[in-house]
Amino acid sequence: MKTPIAWRNLTHNKRKLLVAVSGVAFAVVLMFQQTGFENALFDSTVEIVKQTDCDVIIFNRARFALSSELRFKRDYMNMAAGIKGVKSASPLFIDNTIALFHATQTATSMEPKPRPIRVMGFDLEQTVWASEEINSQIQRLRSPDSALIDRLSKPEFGFQFDDQSLIGTRTGELLKSDVELVGTFKMGRDFAHEGNLIMSARNFAKYFGYRGIDPLSVVDLGLIKGQGISPEKLRNRIRAALPPAVAVVTKSEFVDREVAFWSASTPIGIIFKIGTAMGFAVGIIICYQILATDIADHLSELATLKAMGYSDNYFRSLVISESLILSILGFIPGLIFSLLIFQFSAEMTGLIMLMTIPRAALIFGLTVIMCLISGFIAMRKLIAADPASLF
Amino acid sequence: MKTDSKTIDELLKNWDPDPNSLRVRVNGLGHYYGTGDARKQVLFNNTLNISPGEIVIMTGPSGSGKTTLLTLIGTLRSVQEGSLKIMDTELLGLPSKDIVELRKNIGFFFQAHNLFESLSAYQNVRMACELVNRKESEAKPKIEQVLTRLGLGERIHYKPKSLSGGQKQRVAIARGVINKPKLILADEPTAALDAESGREVVTMFQELASQTGCTILIVTHDNRILDVADRIVNMVDGHISSNVMVQRSATICSIIREFPAFSELTASNLTAVADSMELRRFDAGQPIIQQGDVGTEFFVIAKGDVDIVIDGNRVNSLKSGDYFGEVALIKDQPRNATVLAKEPTSCFVLDKDEFRSIIDASATFEDEVRQAIFDRQ
Repeated sequence: MKTPIAWRNLTHNKRKLLVAVSGVAFAVVLMFQQTGFENALFDSTVEIVKQTDCDVIIFNRARFALSSELRFKRDYMNMAAGIKGVKSASPLFIDNTIALFHATQTATSMEPKPRPIRVMGFDLEQTVWASEEINSQIQRLRSPDSALIDRLSKPEFGFQFDDQSLIGTRTGELLKSDVELVGTFKMGRDFAHEGNLIMSARNFAKYFGYRGIDPLSVVDLGLIKGQGISPEKLRNRIRAALPPAVAVVTKSEFVDREVAFWSASTPIGIIFKIGTAMGFAVGIIICYQILATDIADHLSELATLKAMGYSDNYFRSLVISESLILSILGFIPGLIFSLLIFQFSAEMTGLIMLMTIPRAALIFGLTVIMCLISGFIAMRKLIAADPASLF
Repeated sequence: MKTDSKTIDELLKNWDPDPNSLRVRVNGLGHYYGTGDARKQVLFNNTLNISPGEIVIMTGPSGSGKTTLLTLIGTLRSVQEGSLKIMDTELLGLPSKDIVELRKNIGFFFQAHNLFESLSAYQNVRMACELVNRKESEAKPKIEQVLTRLGLGERIHYKPKSLSGGQKQRVAIARGVINKPKLILADEPTAALDAESGREVVTMFQELASQTGCTILIVTHDNRILDVADRIVNMVDGHISSNVMVQRSATICSIIREFPAFSELTASNLTAVADSMELRRFDAGQPIIQQGDVGTEFFVIAKGDVDIVIDGNRVNSLKSGDYFGEVALIKDQPRNATVLAKEPTSCFVLDKDEFRSIIDASATFEDEVRQAIFDRQ
């Protein structure tokens, strides 16, 4: 049995250990926070698509992102509906720039300022949503001027009460016309939208008459559900049948495309990547400081081991062990603290803050690499020097 | 000091150790610190041979290079110039892999004990056992035995924090000797200890040297422990300025102080004379000096009987402790007699210049020598 020097040295001084673990945990939290917000940007943006019940999505080829307002002719939906293997072809109408909304029954007497909200209209007769919560409230949407409101919409719309369920019993004003909120659903905000309303296509046409004589003649997203066919085959079949003015992709491709746009084509994604890199760099500095100090504190002992005949590989494995121990000890509190921050941020911003196993694994991997790099830098002197110069 | 024949036998036996059995052979060793313009030579062309079982104490002012020499011998520094062999392995240009192996045969002690604070005494010693992959079941009784012998039986599982300075140093010693090293190097091992603990440490060293035949090299300023040395090496400014085999010197001194000219010398001068004497062996019947030759050397018989022959006639015989050859040196005449070894004989030999300088220092010498010569005839 080998004496676990790495563990002993690290844990001998409890106060130093606490400082070391806090340092690593801090770097872990930094990285989690940056990747967390980056993922929140992606997750929140594509949440609308994830909540739809479809296999393939049709959209205007020029629509570079969900938030752009380029639409396509509804005729293409009818064409798609006739293709073999298509079970349903449901149009989704989205408006998010001119739809100014505010609640009218507020806790305070001051009427809130109208703010832009994203409004989605759909055909009540067709299955559009995967969410059971929305589907169960479809009957209520049949009445004129009715809409469901996203519980996570920004309170500044005029929802200054604690009980979220009350939100769905209020009235509001959408584009200066009254709207009755008949229930709630959960979708969440993103970087472009402060809240969401869902209504029937008929009501949508009424509020958004500016779209033309028939506001429902242009579609934002065409949601196609297939039957007995893989999404990829269905996509190819529809793509072959429709003119090149529209793009046809599977639901997961659509999600990837949207994420790729935000990640690569906007400064936001790059900023978060820089932030993560900064967290990583700060982590290396912190870990290096910890490990270098630990090695320096034990330099004469380690030099004695070297004088006794311990090989360089022994010291390498010693520092690697210390790095791994530090990364594990620092990662656990870092993860717990990050989860708390995620929860708090999600509440504060309405963004979706997801901690998935692959994401946690990525940060753990980064933490290990960070500690190893620091460890290797810290031990260079120990390896290179003659023992005599270490005492 | 009375010299009995056993001591002399021992001395003669170890006089010229077999060069193949030397533990440490330093030859023309130089060393430099720094690079470029700041490069400074700290060791100059040093030569030193140390035998198995020998305890060597190295002294000298600080900055004289003694610790540098110690760490070079201990493979803790790379050899730059000259030759340094330990256990017949040349260190100059030795690959680091082999150096690491070689280090396992060396025990090192420093003024600081360098124990891991996070490990108990037992675990600190076990670090050395793990190096040679000794099994826990084998190592455990061994470690406990060594620690108990060093008076730490009650504190085997104590952390260094709960041990006194002397106890910590003893743990370090246990760690250094557990693998039975062939060479033990100690840098100021007693400097941080009180007299009693220091004495315990050097007593340990003596026992190790006599029981296991390991060679011990100690750098120290502590004159309380000089008595354990078989040899004292003094370094000044990067040179070995004196290299005195204490036991040998003492024995030679006890013989040569019988000689009237030397009886007046101070102990240190006497030691210097003893140190500059060379041992020469002669077979039975071999002439040591020939009548009529030019006299260049002075002889003291360490062991054996000799006949003095003048013009073919045996006139006298001499035995161990007697001396001859002085007349020709004093009078600058050819040898007035032949001296033949009757049996295998060993003599300490002093050359003429050395001899004359001693005579010049001794006022009453002429008279005494004349008396001595007169007595002999």
